[in-house]
Amino acid sequence: MIRFENVSKTYKNGTPALRNVTLDIEKGEFIFLVGASGSGKTTFLRLLLREETPDAGRILEAGRDIGELPKWRVPYLRRNIGCVFQDFRLLPNKSVFENVAFALEVIGRPRSTVESQVPQILELVGLADKSKNLPHELSGGEQQRVAVARAFVNRPLILLADEPTGNLDPANSESIMALLERINRTGTTVVMATHDKALVDRMRRRVVELDRGEIVRDQVRGVYGIDEGVAI
Amino acid sequence: MRVYLRYAFKETFTNLWRNRMMTVAAVLTVAVSLSLVGSALLLKQSAAQASAQWQQGTRVTVWMQPNASSSEIDSVKTQLASMPIVKDCQFFTQAQDYQQAKTLLPADEWSVLTPSATPSSFRCIPTVPTDAFTVQSTFTNQPGVYQVTAPEQQIRQMNHAIRILQIVFLALAAVLLLSATVLILNTIRMAIFSRRREVSVMKLVGATNWFIRVPFITEGFIQGLLGSAVAILAVTALHTWYPLHNEFALNASALLGTNTVVLVVGVVIGSVGSAIAIRRFLDV
Repeated sequence: MIRFENVSKTYKNGTPALRNVTLDIEKGEFIFLVGASGSGKTTFLRLLLREETPDAGRILEAGRDIGELPKWRVPYLRRNIGCVFQDFRLLPNKSVFENVAFALEVIGRPRSTVESQVPQILELVGLADKSKNLPHELSGGEQQRVAVARAFVNRPLILLADEPTGNLDPANSESIMALLERINRTGTTVVMATHDKALVDRMRRRVVELDRGEIVRDQVRGVYGIDEGVAI
Repeated sequence: MRVYLRYAFKETFTNLWRNRMMTVAAVLTVAVSLSLVGSALLLKQSAAQASAQWQQGTRVTVWMQPNASSSEIDSVKTQLASMPIVKDCQFFTQAQDYQQAKTLLPADEWSVLTPSATPSSFRCIPTVPTDAFTVQSTFTNQPGVYQVTAPEQQIRQMNHAIRILQIVFLALAAVLLLSATVLILNTIRMAIFSRRREVSVMKLVGATNWFIRVPFITEGFIQGLLGSAVAILAVTALHTWYPLHNEFALNASALLGTNTVVLVVGVVIGSVGSAIAIRRFLDV
């Protein structure tokens, strides 16, 4: 599904973000990306979205080298990738329904699709009864569920989550993780960058650890990191 | 496609309404500058029309003294007839000129005139318009000649005045058009700024670049269009109520041509302003 081949990326100010990263992610996998701040997790996700291009190496998604993609094709690539962020990124003046519908409208989906898909996805994330509310009327956990609904309403092949539980209390984190697992079970590949040790340890999923831009660990049923607790 | 048109329409008008003060400023600047452009064009056409008329029917009028003797009149007549540069001449008697003066002069002026105090005149058409001057210089100061008038000089002066006016109008219009473009650019920049959240979400979920750009372009386009609509009204009003067309025989097609130019310039300004704003401030 996703393949990094000797990918390196150095930012203009000279700091290397990724160094010679090679990684395979299978379709339907659930993978945690862990590591300290500045270890290259976010760069990894930005490369997948082609917000950045690698300085060296290739990134293949669904068999295609996304570096070869002409600029005008990039939006079509992003339609296959859903995104969730720590800060939710909802539109404050649109209702829950409108926020989710927006994602379909701006890629030109007809009204009939919007009207059938949005209630369905809001049901899935458990917010069917709040569809008319504005984001500020919701709790953090609910807002993040709206963001997940928006990311998933177009049924992307890949879901990227950059610290999705970073702003949430444990209970809400739990419900978001349950949601991501459910989405993963539909066959969607989920890549999640996180700092949340307890969460990673409990999930027992594949863990890839980055340290200063290099992969230092790739465990199939991993934990956040044994040394971490001791070192800090 | 229909979905998109509805979306673009909605977005455009929401943006216009949200920044309505700036929109009004931009539209008015476009309107004022284009009104100047339109007036300058109408003036130019008037001038061309006037020159054309003059060239077709230039007249030199040799006015005789009211008390000129018939031999003096005959001498002028024979001279005119023998001049190859004069195509045609008509003699107006004192009575005829008096009648004409009655229709042309204000009442208080012709009422002091009597037929015997009115000069008789030769109305001549030179073969070539510029020969009017030669005729003028030949007959001025001849015995019995009161005055020789040719309209050429007046028309030249008028053309000159029109040209200066036109240059002033166009220079002002150029400055105003520039500021109109900058104003439109600025409104679009503000629209982009106030919608940066939407734009970032749109990019994230895979909206195409044109999908994101078009509402901003149409916003500038509509500002230009509204501006030129106001300008067209102003130019048409000028044409109707200040009847240049009576004096210079400007017809409806001259007005239509002018209004077309005004419309095209307005729309181009709007589109260029928003295109620059999008290039500089919309990162897609």
